[in-house]
Amino acid sequence: MKFAHEFRDGDLGRALAAELPSLLEPGRTYKLMEVCGGHTHTIYRYAIEALLPDGVELVHGPGCPVCVLPMGRVDDGIAIARRPGVILTCFGDMMRVPGSKGSLQEARSLGADVRMVYSPLDALRIARENPDREVVFFALGFETTAPSTALTLMRARRERVRNFSCLCNHVLIEPPLRALLDAPGLQIDGFIGPGHVATVIGARAFGFVPRDYARPVVVSGFEPLDVMQSIQMLLVQLADGRREVENQYRRVVSWEGNPRAQAAMDEVFSPREQFEWRGLGSIAHSALRISDAYAEHDAENRFALPGAQLADPRECQCGEVLRGEIKPWECRVFGTACTPERAIGACMVSPEGACAAYYSYGRHQPVGEAGLSR
Amino acid sequence: MSGADPSCGATGDVHAEGCVTCGDAAAWMRVVTVDAPNALARCVDDGGRGETVATELVGAVAPDDALLVHAGTAIHREAGAPAQRGLR
Repeated sequence: MKFAHEFRDGDLGRALAAELPSLLEPGRTYKLMEVCGGHTHTIYRYAIEALLPDGVELVHGPGCPVCVLPMGRVDDGIAIARRPGVILTCFGDMMRVPGSKGSLQEARSLGADVRMVYSPLDALRIARENPDREVVFFALGFETTAPSTALTLMRARRERVRNFSCLCNHVLIEPPLRALLDAPGLQIDGFIGPGHVATVIGARAFGFVPRDYARPVVVSGFEPLDVMQSIQMLLVQLADGRREVENQYRRVVSWEGNPRAQAAMDEVFSPREQFEWRGLGSIAHSALRISDAYAEHDAENRFALPGAQLADPRECQCGEVLRGEIKPWECRVFGTACTPERAIGACMVSPEGACAAYYSYGRHQPVGEAGLSR
Repeated sequence: MSGADPSCGATGDVHAEGCVTCGDAAAWMRVVTVDAPNALARCVDDGGRGETVATELVGAVAPDDALLVHAGTAIHREAGAPAQRGLR
């Protein structure tokens, strides 16, 4: 099972699906949360839910960093972008995320110099090429992306690129999972763990879930058969009465993770005391700031920021979607006032967001027409 | 499923393959040339798209190594392995 087409084989997917009913306890409902937005995307794109037996429900978790970014941080980025002489760089996913008074894309249309980049290294190159401008990278993402930002800041310091800074919004996966698991009434039986985050932090980083919360975790790849096999592995654990971390994505993920990436993060970042999450509220030690050793490259030191904490739009139910309390289509504005073209909530902006993924694939896919073999 | 479309959010193209921010868009690339002093490698994916990739996180690399690349940085290496379309 090494190459992509083998991980999309419809016959294998249906064979896996046929094994699932025998793992279920009659009358029981199994709720499995996929933590990562990439998995959400795969689940909708390949109609994996249509392959699952009655009684197995997938709940979409908080693992899309664009979706959980609060509006106040978007406003901070816009405030920087509007300053004369500034070039603000960010990933394309970030451009349309709504703040309280518009998005970075709208700020660009009004004259701000906002540029999309594929990598923070591209932002550093722009800084080298524009020594008379302040170049800021809007850094965002979980532990998969944070090492890339860390390396870029290490290069900036080494090369003395003094006009380069980062607005750091990197977040960590464990604290929001703990916040979810600590929430009263949450009914999640097991977790599909984020494969690429685990590439960096290792499968062992999810050991707290079985240890402290008695739930199984299967670290999963992103192809449809990866996800199907991970669901099967979770159901086998539950049937056996086991609660462990298992690694379905062994072709990439190790138990220990990538020690160089972990060291780079430790050097460049420090934990924040608190960080606001859209839909989840303020969570202690859930995000990273730039460490004192790299303070000269911290945009929060270089610019005065509004720093406001803002409530989500009243009509938006992203928070309930992110907590797994409602399905995307159960939001009162889904597909009507809120669409990918005119998003109210961040879950509709990012292609990894549960609402956008469902809007793009799910609602056009009649139940029963699984798309594994497309 | 190779490559990321960094403009997916900006254009509203939610049919794009994935999101670079969360890592779903990590893609396999093959090393073509190595700039060891600067910890960089010129890589291509199977579609022929070239990119200069930071390699600090995966140690020394050699031509034909396969790198799992996210946001311009290699986060995993397979020595001598062929990079294949969408192998993620």
